[in-house]
Amino acid sequence: MLSVQGVHKSFGSIRAVRGVSFEVRPGQVVGLLGPNGAGKTTTIRMITGFLPPDDGRVMIGELDVSRESAPARAKIGYLPESAPHYPEMKVREFIAHRAALLGVAGRERKKAVEEAMDRCQLSHVAARRVGVLSKGFKQRVGLAAAIVHGPSVLVLDEPTNGLDPTQVREARSLIRDLAKDRTLLLSSHVLSEVERVCERVVVIAGGEMRADGTPSELVEKTSLTPLHVVECARTPDPLPILRMVEGVADAKLEALADEGWVRVRITPRSGHRDLREALAAAARGAGLAVRELSIDRPSLERLFAELIERPVAIGGGAGAGGGA
Amino acid sequence: MRGTLTIARRELASFFAIPLGWVATALYLFLTGGVFSLMILNPSTAATMRPFFAVSAWLLLPVIPAISMRLFSEEFRSGTIEPLLTSPVSDAAIALGKYLGALGFMVLMLVPTLLHVGVLAWLSDPAPDAGPIVAGYTSLVLLGMLYLSIGLFISSLTSNQTLAFLGTLFAILLLLLATTLGADRLPEAMRPLLYAAALTPRIADFSKGVIDTSHVVFFVSCSAWFVLLTIVALQSRRWS
Repeated sequence: MLSVQGVHKSFGSIRAVRGVSFEVRPGQVVGLLGPNGAGKTTTIRMITGFLPPDDGRVMIGELDVSRESAPARAKIGYLPESAPHYPEMKVREFIAHRAALLGVAGRERKKAVEEAMDRCQLSHVAARRVGVLSKGFKQRVGLAAAIVHGPSVLVLDEPTNGLDPTQVREARSLIRDLAKDRTLLLSSHVLSEVERVCERVVVIAGGEMRADGTPSELVEKTSLTPLHVVECARTPDPLPILRMVEGVADAKLEALADEGWVRVRITPRSGHRDLREALAAAARGAGLAVRELSIDRPSLERLFAELIERPVAIGGGAGAGGGA
Repeated sequence: MRGTLTIARRELASFFAIPLGWVATALYLFLTGGVFSLMILNPSTAATMRPFFAVSAWLLLPVIPAISMRLFSEEFRSGTIEPLLTSPVSDAAIALGKYLGALGFMVLMLVPTLLHVGVLAWLSDPAPDAGPIVAGYTSLVLLGMLYLSIGLFISSLTSNQTLAFLGTLFAILLLLLATTLGADRLPEAMRPLLYAAALTPRIADFSKGVIDTSHVVFFVSCSAWFVLLTIVALQSRRWS
């Protein structure tokens, strides 16, 4: 289990991380989400032992990363942002080198390297130099090097940063596969990535924790209301008909390219989350033709924007250490 | 120390996988080859390798900073320092591994020059005395050890290879000048220290064929100090 307990880190007068606490249970995939400069990388560097926290501690199982650094670091697989590598080394050599540094015994090393390459689909480029590979392949080489010693905790810092859409899809699929048998912490500023890969999200901004929970929990607990979208005939005038429905706070008309049709965006009053049946009944009663009626639920993206604008106390995710 | 040999092996192999290693070796061998052909392979002079060792000692001045400049600077620049420092190996193992890898490369760079010794022994009668040759190579290795340790330390301070190169070159020149020309001009109180740190008299002793244990201890312990300073620099990066 990975446990981050009230860690602080300052660089001179800049307080990069302020009292961040969370836990990741065995087998969980947690996303550390925040805008650029939020303190994600600093938090990750404290977790991996690259930087010591000024205060607080990071535990990998029973081991304190600062006090029992080497044995704790041996349990972590780490892929820093941009997957740094030695370009002159061949793929197999590079992964074998990392395996040796990470403590894989000589007699087991060859097998561990081949397994890691198989897992990351690198066997066909094993004899090529890392420096000549595409960015997507370099990322896979970094992942293979991070898992070659069979770590119980895998930490990935912005693992799909700079990849093209195909490479992003492949990297996500690989990450999901790697997450099957270990604890995984992934940092990202890309919401869709966290939504697709992670079962829990820790939101961090300005060095502080803003929220901790599953994506649906976070969306559910936010004050954001779900927008309703109605595509209907231009006549009779849909606005007075739809505004009459109980629970409707506001309705706005949007023109559509299709002649005779309009789109109405409806904001419900607080406490009214699903007005679809009432809206359909009102339209039917007034003889208003409706061709589409849907709810545009608050996405993690809207929530994220709200969270980084102002602190919102949302906590209680599985294994959450608390939110601020 | 776990990890030291792994790091040393990678470091040594990396010099042969990049142009820098080959270019530095080629230039060194070209220049020392020139010295050998023009100054040593001369029927009118005594069969001695002394000019080769004298020129080689000066050639180490640009060659060693070229070898050492990338040791840590490149790791900082490319970001590979992060996986390295988060591996379960100590900072001491990392510094020592890099140092030994670079030292191994320098020693391998000297190996082809043994051909000069073979040619000289084959052509001259009587054969050259082995003592000054063994002492000469020992002096080159010891001098290279010290220069490399200074270069290792300076490369641990910057992510800019050019700065690391210039910084090392300047530091070695400063050491050479301060302990020779500078020593006589500085206050008397500082002179014993500067004379004790002087490299040229020690190298001169080696060129006479004398391997003085005190000189060996001086070079080895000074090198150890700079490796130790590198370890401190690495640790201070974590705490900065």
